[in-house]
Amino acid sequence: MRAKRVAGGLAAAIALLAIAVVFGLLTGGVHLSPVDLVAGVGPAGETARLVASLRAPRVALSALVGCCLAVAGAALQALLKNPLADPFLLGTSGGAAAGAAFAAVAGLSPLVSPAAAFAGAIGSSVAVAALARRGGRLDLQRLLLAGLIANAFFSAVLLAVFSVASGQTARTMLFWMMGSLADATPGKVLALAPYGAAGFAVLVAFAGRLNLFAVGEENAAALGVDVESSKRIVFLASSLLTGAAVAFAGIIGFVGLLVPHAARAAVGNDQRALLPVSAIAGAALLVAADAVSRSAFAPAELPVGAVTAAIGAPIFAWLLLRNP
Amino acid sequence: MSEYSDYPTAARAIPRVGGLDVSAERVASLRPDLVLATQEGNARGPVTALAAAGLPVLVLPTGSLDAVLQSIRRIGEALGRREEAARLADSLSSRRASVRERVSGKRRPKAILLVWPEPPQAAGGGTFLNEVLSDAGAENLIETRPGWPVVSAEYLSTAPVEVLVLPVSTGTRPAFEHALSAGALSRGSIRRARVVWMDDAVLTRPGPRVFGALEELASAIHGADSRRSP
Amino acid sequence: MSTLLEARGLSASYGATPALDGLDAAIGRGELVALLGENGSGKSTFLRVIARIVPAGGGEVLLEGRPLAGFPRRATARRIAYLPQSTELVFPIRSLDLVLQGRAPHSRGFSADSAEDRDRALAAMRACDVEALAERDASALSGGETRRVFLARALAQEAEIWLLDEPTSGLDPRHRLEFLEVIARAHADRKTTVLLVTHEIDLAGEIADRVVLLRAGRALAEGSPRETLTPDRLREAFGVESRIVTDDQGRRRVVPYAPSR
Repeated sequence: MRAKRVAGGLAAAIALLAIAVVFGLLTGGVHLSPVDLVAGVGPAGETARLVASLRAPRVALSALVGCCLAVAGAALQALLKNPLADPFLLGTSGGAAAGAAFAAVAGLSPLVSPAAAFAGAIGSSVAVAALARRGGRLDLQRLLLAGLIANAFFSAVLLAVFSVASGQTARTMLFWMMGSLADATPGKVLALAPYGAAGFAVLVAFAGRLNLFAVGEENAAALGVDVESSKRIVFLASSLLTGAAVAFAGIIGFVGLLVPHAARAAVGNDQRALLPVSAIAGAALLVAADAVSRSAFAPAELPVGAVTAAIGAPIFAWLLLRNP
Repeated sequence: MSEYSDYPTAARAIPRVGGLDVSAERVASLRPDLVLATQEGNARGPVTALAAAGLPVLVLPTGSLDAVLQSIRRIGEALGRREEAARLADSLSSRRASVRERVSGKRRPKAILLVWPEPPQAAGGGTFLNEVLSDAGAENLIETRPGWPVVSAEYLSTAPVEVLVLPVSTGTRPAFEHALSAGALSRGSIRRARVVWMDDAVLTRPGPRVFGALEELASAIHGADSRRSP
Repeated sequence: MSTLLEARGLSASYGATPALDGLDAAIGRGELVALLGENGSGKSTFLRVIARIVPAGGGEVLLEGRPLAGFPRRATARRIAYLPQSTELVFPIRSLDLVLQGRAPHSRGFSADSAEDRDRALAAMRACDVEALAERDASALSGGETRRVFLARALAQEAEIWLLDEPTSGLDPRHRLEFLEVIARAHADRKTTVLLVTHEIDLAGEIADRVVLLRAGRALAEGSPRETLTPDRLREAFGVESRIVTDDQGRRRVVPYAPSR
């Protein structure tokens, strides 16, 4: 590892995250004065603390979700040796949306929604993996195709669900599908944290193997990696990260695709560095995007997925253009 | 007859052809004398198809209380019951005028109307409900944003909301109550707002009954005897 | 000469397409064996089965008399280095890191990073004349340079068996010769057992201790180059007519000149 370059990248990512967190806590539809927050008394101080207590879970959840998506994206790009892989490529977004849609239409309590979305995401991943089996092995090319099929299928299911859902249910579903951190609570942060930690730990443990996969699956096999078991584990960990993130925050695009590219440009493709730097940068991006979604048209809130797309698409276009 | 039409009770006996999206075939098979459609809310496709098939289609304006009155008059004309329609429209119109008169000159409390609690989705500027809120003598805090914006919990917890209008049905009320007790509506200044529960079937569907809802809303906001409520 | 690797009735297929169909072959320790055969005869597949990339569908491969499949993967990876014909590098990777991947089977978590690993990697790169490229992005190198970086990787792996799949194809004359030099030196210095798949009949004749001719997934003939590289055998294996010539250095060459009718 180029130690200096990695240290620099890591430091930059941490700095960005710190800035984003401060930005996230201080901005929003309501002006929050740091002075009031720290030293204010009476109504001004109370208001400041109240707003901060509403924003803090959102900032924490944004950071966690951004982390999960970016790490899952980076790992999948290496596993599939495909720079265009993103965490949703394998059907998890479609499955999650379908799960949440069914829960909503069935009139279940909104508290059930994250569980339903998670179940849908994991269910879809399992189905996609099963589709991609070829002679006892997980065929990575078929995996991509199977994921595309799954997402297409779920889109159709969703459209059908939308057409029979009441107007309000449809609007709420749509808002969720575009990604929203609006109802972040400390409970959700605590619920997501173990998934994030576990998924991250597993993927980092597989960083060396992922480096070998990034040169090729055959390359990994020839160097002694048990490729079938590794594929299953990495796939499962990524699906858990993605499913959990989507369950709590809806479908937020571009983070899982873009952040690994940006991190790669900064620290190279060594997964031992790329995974942690992607995690931190992903957190920073989503915290910033959430802050923008709260402030751009205050008091109205934009869906955060719209913000990440608005930021992400031009950046991606720029990255493509500068790489001949 | 759409699935949303459940008043008067006699209407429930009439065959149903769908919700907001309508099956053109189903409609045509019932061989109606007249098809009523609105500019928004109905799928344009089926309506165009029905018109092309030669069925008489009357497209009605929507989006405001005036549009409701206009619709009533036009329907009356189309059905050859112009006098009746004009009577109804005039009476609704004068009810509206008297509400406006009643609330004029009074202080307009700051209000928000939420069509959904989590995430909190409000009626913004240019909407039908914004007009109702305004006619009932309240100031819609979300008027500056058009359409149906989702508002942040932090805004609700710091905004000077005095009246919170919640159109609900038996099915949706629990979600609103949860939001009030533990959710997005449970912290900060929104707790001090006075909650006005309304029947969403009456308030949110543009039709003659909205005028009754308007009166009810005005009374709730300003008091039945025109005194400002605490 | 003890037998290091042995194939017995080895079969393997890609989906429904059979590539190896009952191959018998024995490779002695320290031998340089050339595998020849027309396209589709199973040469590359044989290498890939030994490299444990492709599973055997029938029959078996024995390493020192024991079934290959019984060894832990990491253990065989320490002893067997595989150089594929081409590898597409989709992501940027520092050349030194690519060479360090050769140390992966020897390291915990498949991450080679110790000072010792780096030293061996750099030494290997030096031997292949790519040390100057160590800090450069391997995905941006020329085909020949990349091939030599991969060779350095095989060297760094310190494996006792090398599986080389058409290692000189596409190399210009100078680099081809340098490449062959490295292989020859490793074979001589470290007594590396080399299995070389090639289309170059002359190369096989020149450097191989033994030659195995494959056809339709089986061994057609095997033995010393002089025994196996005969016009009759070449006709059988490749469908070409050839003649034997002696060049001005007195070396025997077999030269195909026309397709068989």
